[in-house]
Amino acid sequence: MEVESDSHIHMCWQVLSARTKKWPLADIISTVEFNYSGDLLATGDKGGRVVIFQREQENKSRPHSRGEYNVYSTFQSHEPEFDYLKSLEIEEKINKIRWLPQQNAAHFLLSTNDKTIKLWKISERDKRAEGYNLKDEDGRLRDPFRITALRVPILKPMDLMVEASPRRIFANAHTYHINSISVNSDHETYLSADDLRINLWHLEITDRSFNIVDIKPANMEELTEVITAAEFHPHQCNVFVYSSSKGTIRLCDMRSSALCDRHSKFFEEPEDPSSRSFFSEIISSISDVKFSHSGRYMMSRDYLSVKVWDLNMESRPLETHQVHEYLRSKLCSLYENDCIFDKFECCWNGSDSAIMTGSYNNFFRMFDRDTRRDVTLEASRESSKPRASLKPRKVCTGGKRKKDEISVDSLDFNKKILHTAWHPADSVIAVAATNNLYIFQGKIN
Amino acid sequence: MEFKLEAHRIVSISLGKIYNSRVQRGGIKLHKNLLVSLVLRSARQVYLSDPCPGLYLAGPAGIPAPPPQQLGEPAAGPPAGWGEPPPPAAGASWADTEPQPEGSAVSEAPRVGDAVPEATVTGVGVVPQGGAADAAKAAWSRVEGPRQAAAGEAEGPAGGWGVFPLGSRASRRPCGCPLGGEDSSGTPAATPRAACCCAPRPAEDEPPAPPAVCPRKRGAAGVGGGPTSFPAPGSTPLKKPRRNLEQPPSGGEDDDTEEMDTGNVANLISIFGSSFSGLLRKSPGGGREEEEGEKSGPEAAEPGQICCDKPVLRDMNPWSTAIVAF
Repeated sequence: MEVESDSHIHMCWQVLSARTKKWPLADIISTVEFNYSGDLLATGDKGGRVVIFQREQENKSRPHSRGEYNVYSTFQSHEPEFDYLKSLEIEEKINKIRWLPQQNAAHFLLSTNDKTIKLWKISERDKRAEGYNLKDEDGRLRDPFRITALRVPILKPMDLMVEASPRRIFANAHTYHINSISVNSDHETYLSADDLRINLWHLEITDRSFNIVDIKPANMEELTEVITAAEFHPHQCNVFVYSSSKGTIRLCDMRSSALCDRHSKFFEEPEDPSSRSFFSEIISSISDVKFSHSGRYMMSRDYLSVKVWDLNMESRPLETHQVHEYLRSKLCSLYENDCIFDKFECCWNGSDSAIMTGSYNNFFRMFDRDTRRDVTLEASRESSKPRASLKPRKVCTGGKRKKDEISVDSLDFNKKILHTAWHPADSVIAVAATNNLYIFQGKIN
Repeated sequence: MEFKLEAHRIVSISLGKIYNSRVQRGGIKLHKNLLVSLVLRSARQVYLSDPCPGLYLAGPAGIPAPPPQQLGEPAAGPPAGWGEPPPPAAGASWADTEPQPEGSAVSEAPRVGDAVPEATVTGVGVVPQGGAADAAKAAWSRVEGPRQAAAGEAEGPAGGWGVFPLGSRASRRPCGCPLGGEDSSGTPAATPRAACCCAPRPAEDEPPAPPAVCPRKRGAAGVGGGPTSFPAPGSTPLKKPRRNLEQPPSGGEDDDTEEMDTGNVANLISIFGSSFSGLLRKSPGGGREEEEGEKSGPEAAEPGQICCDKPVLRDMNPWSTAIVAF
């Protein structure tokens, strides 16, 4: 197992696929998610579209495909809507996509915008029935009186067609903007969370949901925190967590009560008073929370760091990894240009030994939990020639800038990587950089 | 002093953000506005606790004005610094008095025209965090000198608040100028003022005779719609009478295109209607509107909108309203 001893993150990361588009704003990728097997990768964008990529099977006839991801299906999931009662436009931007475990030949995923969650069925069709009696090949109905003989339709192969159809629409359950959905390990229910409430749904039932968390104060003037992310435990179907804008994470057990306003566990790291600033509250707001695959740990992402928590220890995180601490002195500028409100996501690798999250200037960071090493890589067109290896990058935080380093002031804050995903088993990662999607494969060097 | 500059700038930026959030697609984002209001609160606390010349509205030079009659002022008493620059030792007292009961109505100090505007805002019941006390103390010791010099410079009511370039203006011109720039309402342009790039002077430059201007018939008349008397759209049930015109915006604006325009504030207030956040107040001071039932304009009808607190708004001048509300 010599191979395993080397740091996951210090592999040679090569471009597997790079889908770059020059399309306008609507194509900013807003979510990226591998399915359970990793063969499918779904992306949602600001225009309400979902694009699914499928991994090519490596086969002898095409040895160089190396398991590339190619477009499998594209469909419009959500359209812009208008709430006439409140005179509000509802954005079609896809906030989250979550796959359901595969149970038959079709694939199912949940996609959500600010208000409505939809269950989509993606199925393949590679056969077509021919030889109907009541309609001819063009589909026109035949006059029954003219039929003189009967035949049995036969199935003929056709070009593969991938169809996406909405099977369920879960609407009108959220007053505030939905920020998370999470499929339960029972594969029958899922939760959806908005700023103040979390609802529990059954996948088969669209006309009702159960409210399991409600932090809306009786007097909205007393509002001090909102829910920022929520997720079910990967194995315990009664446990879920939700994070707040105050930097806290609450773990709730649905067996304890119908309304889980009282948490079972409360995870918070005491604030360091010496680092207090105007923006302390903003940067402590948690933008993403993810359970590890094992279910023993969870990870939270706030503006400057990623923290790994042990579910058995509420008082402080197990590990804290600084993503871009050099931005701490720039918080005022980042507040002005709104970057401080960016919500970065984070993800685990399949073995929970490494974590990854995005940063600015199209940089993303990987942290190896075993070796305590980290690396900064860049997802850009220049560094994405096929089979090119990503070079580790470094940000110069002060003093003399070495060659190949980038100074903090030259970082491009418009190029942000908010969404990343890691293949559930292999060393394959998907990185969304604005409206470009990069898929990298790691090879031990 | 630096704290104050920074705080000032941040307050103006924050207000700009809140203002702009009205027109964002998809409705007002509750999370972002919550964070902005928290920043606004922090900045305001620092701003208040960092005394600066010109912020105190004394009558004749050097003579502190008597504390104003305060409508509904809580038993906690007027915050230190009413009508006079608080002595340095009061740095601690600032911290002490600031955690007033939230029910405290907004002080009427600006009405008198000579009160410390920040006291007004403080009176709204913002509970500063402990850290503010330290900042206050530090700021106090630093600013003592200039304070004396500025003691003689009268300031119109809401003059101190005039410092804040609000709304879109704010976002266009983040002000880094020393707040001393607001000193010279009647005096010839003081150096800091000349140096002030954005010179956010309050429109009410004219009233170095503050008491004259002050009586504003506040009471139950409700919060003013501001000098431009822009009626708040659908600001039910809190009617904002046309407050205006005790402080005509024309004021001292002629000489400087960058003059603060209270009309801006008035617009800001009106536009937000009664959808102010009582976030800065820990407890509801009075009639609270269900946000679902709120009808104060389309932007306020958004479910994420935060409600206003009527009694608070009723008793404040537009400046304080704008600031405090968020």
